[in-house]
Amino acid sequence: MGYLFDPDNWEWLVTSNNAEFLLEGFLVNVQIATIALVCSLIAGLALALARLSRNKALRFVVGIWVDVWRNLPLLFVILYLAIGLPISWREAYENAAPEFLPDVLQSGRVFAALLALVLYNSAVLAEIMRAGIQSLDRGQNEAAVALGLSYWQRMRIVILPQGLRRMLPATVSQLITLNKDTTLVFIIGIQEVVRHGRILTGFNFFGGVPAPLLQVFIFIGLMFVVTNLALSRLSRRLEIREQKRTGMTVKPVSGLEDQVTTVQAR
Amino acid sequence: MSSWFELLTDNFDALASGFWVTLRLVGASFAVAVVVGTLVAALRIAPSVWLQRLGGVYVETFRNVPLFILLIIAYSGLRRAGVPIGPWTAGIASLGLYTAAYVAEVLRSGVFAVSRGQIEASLSLGFGYPQTLRRIVLPQAVRTVISPLGSLTIAMIKNSAIVGAALAINDLVKEARIIGSRTFETDAAFFWAAVGYLLLTVAATVAFRQLERRYAISR
Repeated sequence: MGYLFDPDNWEWLVTSNNAEFLLEGFLVNVQIATIALVCSLIAGLALALARLSRNKALRFVVGIWVDVWRNLPLLFVILYLAIGLPISWREAYENAAPEFLPDVLQSGRVFAALLALVLYNSAVLAEIMRAGIQSLDRGQNEAAVALGLSYWQRMRIVILPQGLRRMLPATVSQLITLNKDTTLVFIIGIQEVVRHGRILTGFNFFGGVPAPLLQVFIFIGLMFVVTNLALSRLSRRLEIREQKRTGMTVKPVSGLEDQVTTVQAR
Repeated sequence: MSSWFELLTDNFDALASGFWVTLRLVGASFAVAVVVGTLVAALRIAPSVWLQRLGGVYVETFRNVPLFILLIIAYSGLRRAGVPIGPWTAGIASLGLYTAAYVAEVLRSGVFAVSRGQIEASLSLGFGYPQTLRRIVLPQAVRTVISPLGSLTIAMIKNSAIVGAALAINDLVKEARIIGSRTFETDAAFFWAAVGYLLLTVAATVAFRQLERRYAISR
């Protein structure tokens, strides 16, 4: 305990720009999480709609796809894509990456990381969205059919606005998991917060006096705790609001780390 | 495709040992998670506000920190601080304590699902608070939390890969990496590792579904 709270061991935090250096790394994590979330939401919606389609073969194939990616360790997928993706794909990403992205995110290695995060999270989000859509009263769809709306009109005007709003709290919870998972891209050598922490604590950084590893990583952990706490408060609030508005109770979606819940009619 | 089977038969021992290591890691961490998780859940429903807060701090901390950071703190951090901790201890402790936060939340919600009348009846019958918890509340709570515990077990199997990557533990992913870099057949090596993980997660799914069918009470 003495070691942990010894002021000498926290001095690194205020010397030179160490804290800023860690925050910069953390920002990369947040950016990766944001990009991955946006792509996963789009892909997840497509997968969820495919799983609910009337075509039996499509439903079956997409069901297997979702279950496989959902049940593989994310780290395993990241590693495999980093090693196994053809180099031409990475180069294509490097050429196609928009200019406004920070330098770190323009590297081809980020492509493997993003692809892995999207494959995993889109499968998870697809399950969440499917649960949300299925929790709607059948009558909603039947009424829309009776009104003469086409499939896409029904989805756009009636089903998705209600179904997806119910799943908003669950989606925010998944964002917490996604945010934590971005630390895994350290394994394939992306310059994010863990790498920055490692640089600070590596030997021969300040002429042989590295920052104490325990304290640096506790600080990094705290950054995640603060961000994720804010997100989980948001999720809780959305859940309560949704419960008040629709008078629904919550029911868990299986297979997720966090106790992600769907809203279901009483 | 035939070369893929050859890779499996040639490296079966390495893959099997990785599978076994992953299984042991998950098993030991699950034990830690259930024990610690139960204690934390007990704190969170304790009759003292300060104990409740303590439990709350535990849950919010371990649930919001990335497991990878936890592993670095538990292994490299403690070693640098002069604590001679081994990779297995650090790995099991990290994965166990991390999951314990989720287990505590699941158990707490299970306890809240037990109606208040049960607790009041038990207290009025002269049971003490710990006895009420142990004999009346927990047996009922456990039965409502089988399905979420199954989810956590599956998440744990997946998270065990992070332990193998951060520490010197040769789990299934690491064995696949070693085989892949030795034979240059990354696809095949990772394919068999994926099969291993899917076997574990499917087995856990089926096992918990059976438990649920047998014991669960719906509310």
